Amino acid sequence: MTTSRERLERVLEHRSADRIPVDLGATAVTGVHVRMVELLRDALGLPRQPVKVVEPYQMLGEVDEALCDALGVDVVGIPARKTLFGFENEGWREFRTFWGQVVLVPRGFETRLDEGGDLLIYPEGDRSARPSGRMPKSGFFFDTIVRQDPLDEGRLEPEDNLEEFTPLSEEDLAYWRRQIAHYRAKPRRGLVVSIGGTGLGDIALVPGPWMKNPRGVRDIAEWYVTTLTRPDYVHAIFERQTAVALANLEVAHRIIGDAAQVVFLCGTDFGTQDSQFCAPDTFRELYRPYYRRMNDWIHRHTSWKSFKHSCGAVEPLIESFLDAGFDILNPVQVNAVGMDPRLLKERYGDRLVFWGGGVDTQKVLPFARPEEVETHVLRQCEILGKDGGFVFNAVHNIQANVPVENVLAMIRAVKRANGEK
Amino acid sequence: MNDLLERLSQCVENGKINQAAPYPPKLKGQPGADELCREALASGIPPDRILEEGLVSGMSRIGERFSQGKAFVPEMLLAARAMTAAMAHLKPFFTSGAVKRKGVFVVGTVAGDLHDIGKNIVAMMVEGAGWEVIDLGVDVKAERFLSEIEKHPRCVVGLSALLTTTMVNMEKIVSEIHARFPGHVVFVGGAPVNDDFRKKIGASFYAPDPQGAVEHLKTLAA
Repeated sequence: MTTSRERLERVLEHRSADRIPVDLGATAVTGVHVRMVELLRDALGLPRQPVKVVEPYQMLGEVDEALCDALGVDVVGIPARKTLFGFENEGWREFRTFWGQVVLVPRGFETRLDEGGDLLIYPEGDRSARPSGRMPKSGFFFDTIVRQDPLDEGRLEPEDNLEEFTPLSEEDLAYWRRQIAHYRAKPRRGLVVSIGGTGLGDIALVPGPWMKNPRGVRDIAEWYVTTLTRPDYVHAIFERQTAVALANLEVAHRIIGDAAQVVFLCGTDFGTQDSQFCAPDTFRELYRPYYRRMNDWIHRHTSWKSFKHSCGAVEPLIESFLDAGFDILNPVQVNAVGMDPRLLKERYGDRLVFWGGGVDTQKVLPFARPEEVETHVLRQCEILGKDGGFVFNAVHNIQANVPVENVLAMIRAVKRANGEK
Repeated sequence: MNDLLERLSQCVENGKINQAAPYPPKLKGQPGADELCREALASGIPPDRILEEGLVSGMSRIGERFSQGKAFVPEMLLAARAMTAAMAHLKPFFTSGAVKRKGVFVVGTVAGDLHDIGKNIVAMMVEGAGWEVIDLGVDVKAERFLSEIEKHPRCVVGLSALLTTTMVNMEKIVSEIHARFPGHVVFVGGAPVNDDFRKKIGASFYAPDPQGAVEHLKTLAA
């Protein structure tokens, strides 16, 4: 019988498998909100327990072994040692959310309510620092608080934006050894690893929410402008960041080896709903050389496939993504302009693995009826799953407001697409 | 068109803020929107003409290129900065009444949502089209929109949302606005929003890009 791991391997090689592999929770962009995890556990009859928030920025919940089994999940993930707010996922304690759910959060999840009732969170769990994230009281997750000190053009140095890109520490390496040993003890499912520091100009990371005193260009609009007005500055950052990333990939690979099949390399969003954040020429000039170096190293020295996340209407950039050496595209935002799944599959299906696009999350999953979700998912699986090259996942994380009946309908449809009754 | 105003328009379109600004490289060392607007005023060109033929024209061109996928968010942000640099010189004429705004546009990202890049670009485009913009920021509740409508009864309201989880708040805000001010004009926009949703929640107008909003505002100002 084919294992989940083997199934993933086959589709990554663009070969048909006995069924479409499923990811729900392997990465910070393919996960499930903690509220939905609890609703799913209840609906599937799993024991009631406070769910761990494994990714505090987006409040993603742990999809544990029991839930993986119940949902038919084929892939798991190992994230970087520290969360986006700079603390480790350890020392779990209970926390009551705005929506009344009791969840488990790590020790470093230090928060306070501001005068308007919003929840503020601190980098490294240090309440003496400026808070780096805010969850509105009617919200379900955090957004970064931009802490941009006034820019002094004459004193701006690439080092300011490079502070976070450092060689993996002894603690990091010990973490990876533990995680990989744990995985190897029972390697049933496929594995995605995220070693961190490999995404260039990722706008979610530019504000440095894990840092107490981020320096350099940290404002989101200023960063976008910087890509035009200070190209030498950006090249210098990317050059040095790439050198560190290559060294870290090498060190991490010595520990991870072929336990992982996929490395999460880049979460930089290049697409909006109907356009891109830059022209293909800009991508080729500014980003491609550095990604190409990372991907070339990966392909020469490992069996890993390289995972590229970008929301939005990125079809005009896909050829450039391939040229930069990426093997996998996520989340395949099928309702963005130009992202018709048939066109994508026809044009790129033999060269690019689609990891996502299994269900539209802007219109269908949150707002359609369960039977409409089921029909939609079956169609997506039929189109994208043909001849391998497809890992089922929603278009980005499943959010807190989705009716659980629709997520169950989604799962039913995947099982039907896979020939289960 | 006056040559000076054409150059000003080009500076706005290309994001040339002032003489010291290094971008775009092809205009390095040349006067930018800041200097050219001052020069236009000093040469006696009426401020309403500077606004229309320099600023509105430049923002309209970059807006069209953005709609066509030929310009991108960074270029839009720089154009807006150039427009703002020039607009600073025109502000006294708005205050004195020498130049009339086309209307008031009250804009904000709805409650629960902290995303503002899209909303900011729309605000800049609308300001660049000659409207007074009152930007209420992010995470804005219905009461704040209602209070602005009371102050500016003929204003157009713009609501932005990036998240499916906050689209529902957009619906609540539209409903509260219309309960108190029936028929008030409310624009909606943002990544997950579309015209079907606009119809469902009873808002007045949706455009997938900022230029669409600007074009529709023109019909309201006319």
